[in-house]
Amino acid sequence: MSSPARRVLDAVPHRVHRLLPSALRADLRHRTGLTVPGDLAYRPVPPPPAPGERTGPPDFAVLGAADAGSRWWLTLVADHPDVTPGHASPDAAHYFAPFCTEAFGPAEVAAFHAWFPRRPGRIIGFWSPDGLAHPWVPPLLARAAPRAQVLVLLRDPVERLLDGLVRTAEERPAHPGSYLSDAVDRGCYADQLERLAEWYPADQIQVLQYERCVADPVGSLARTYEFLGVDAGCRARPLDPPTAGSDRTGHRPDPATLDRLRELYAADVARLEDLVPGFDPALWPNFAPRP
Amino acid sequence: MRPPPLVRRVLRGLPPPARSVLLHARGDYAPWEVGFDFTPPALLAGERVGPPDFVGVGAQKGGTSWWFELILEHPGVYERAGIPKERHYLSQFCVEPFGPDQVATYHGWFPRTEGTVTGEWTPDYLSYPWVAPLLAEAAPDARILLLVRDPVERFRSGLTFRFRMGAPHTSASVADAVRQGFYARHLRRLLEYFPTEQVLVLQYEQCRADPSPELARTYAFLGLDPFEPEEIRREVNVSGGEKVPFDPEAAGRLADLYRADALELAHLVPSLDLALWPSIVGGVDRGDGGS
Repeated sequence: MSSPARRVLDAVPHRVHRLLPSALRADLRHRTGLTVPGDLAYRPVPPPPAPGERTGPPDFAVLGAADAGSRWWLTLVADHPDVTPGHASPDAAHYFAPFCTEAFGPAEVAAFHAWFPRRPGRIIGFWSPDGLAHPWVPPLLARAAPRAQVLVLLRDPVERLLDGLVRTAEERPAHPGSYLSDAVDRGCYADQLERLAEWYPADQIQVLQYERCVADPVGSLARTYEFLGVDAGCRARPLDPPTAGSDRTGHRPDPATLDRLRELYAADVARLEDLVPGFDPALWPNFAPRP
Repeated sequence: MRPPPLVRRVLRGLPPPARSVLLHARGDYAPWEVGFDFTPPALLAGERVGPPDFVGVGAQKGGTSWWFELILEHPGVYERAGIPKERHYLSQFCVEPFGPDQVATYHGWFPRTEGTVTGEWTPDYLSYPWVAPLLAEAAPDARILLLVRDPVERFRSGLTFRFRMGAPHTSASVADAVRQGFYARHLRRLLEYFPTEQVLVLQYEQCRADPSPELARTYAFLGLDPFEPEEIRREVNVSGGEKVPFDPEAAGRLADLYRADALELAHLVPSLDLALWPSIVGGVDRGDGGS
């Protein structure tokens, strides 16, 4: 990871990297071994635990959705004195990436645990924006961290889709259809939650609506603290604004296209009302019941 | 315009992403790429355009090129040289406007002469949930064809194919290959827009074992007279060479992910014979002694 070639590559400005199409960049990474998180061949080594720290399965997991504020939420959660701070490492986040096609046994479980050093009395979380959307992840996580409390943030799927497309607009994917299909699929939450529920009991899963977290961060965070078994009376300082959301500006589809997107997600959103206790479609601008 | 033979040979020797950069520099795009010119081909004498009479929607690496060629052998089916089997036209309109102009352009890609039928087969359509309503708008009377194959086998072939075509070696590519095998989920979406009698689901393994009756069924479904090709040609577009490594334990996990969907498919498609899908009915050797 700290090879001379890697250091040279890291020194190249982001804008220069972007001159090459993403597929060509990925191909070069694959051929040179200079892989990044999310690449199937990427095998980062976790830093050794500091004195007094021990490693083990994460106590909780924040599994996306991507572009739904999950990283922001983890940051707030980790502000609690009983939670290990600063743990949204992309290296750990993509740990499960290769294991759809590769064996996952005790050695892989142990290697996963090594990513989670914590001091006595503190809990630590795993964050993965792909964990909900990539269907091979929940069974592996359940094997590696069966007692983890699982947090999921959901956001209006149309807004999430459009925001994600803005974020990744520079990618110039080689196969735009697959890329769009992935982006759309990440908003089909009901399917994903049903799969997750096959691996974790209901009392180990907390599903939050991003919009409610933004509107009432203190109350929502207290519920999350309670769910994680830490002192719910603590308050994160400061309650930073979310990093996902409306500050990105991009192409807004015409009304007919927006209607098609709403229609695409309508059945999935309707299922959420049965799957998620307290789910309120009125918080989602594209699915709020119309007067 | 095709490059001269020497240039073609050089291009073939390059990694696909590098080849694409050079082809794009001369304005040469594949139909699935942003930049492809979708201006319909000029009509020849005696041709007219209109909605396709049939549209194959999947599955990738499920024998669709082979079956499409067999359909084209029927004298009642019109084929224009130079128009690709996979039009990919509808793939572009996930978040783009789709109206009468786009419908007319789509129709422009289906020239046919009096008394013949014509169609396309774009396997990617299956897992693009935005395509079904567009197809229903542009070709409401089209007969829909779907050729399915053991989803675990399809996954491995599909991923191998995608990597050969230059897809990045990332978890996103794997997730795309996984997604395509949830046939029942995709079929349900299609059936929201097309009546059951307008959709024919064929099983690759049955077609391969005994093609004649399946082909007769296909011709009948397309409203064509009975016809026996002189010789049912062997499969085309078969990927030779080594497939991507796939650990047996991981294959077993993937089969577990697909099982509920495959059972639902068998319910939706009574002619489906799950005994022909050993991975689903328990034939995957996990290598870990698991069930």
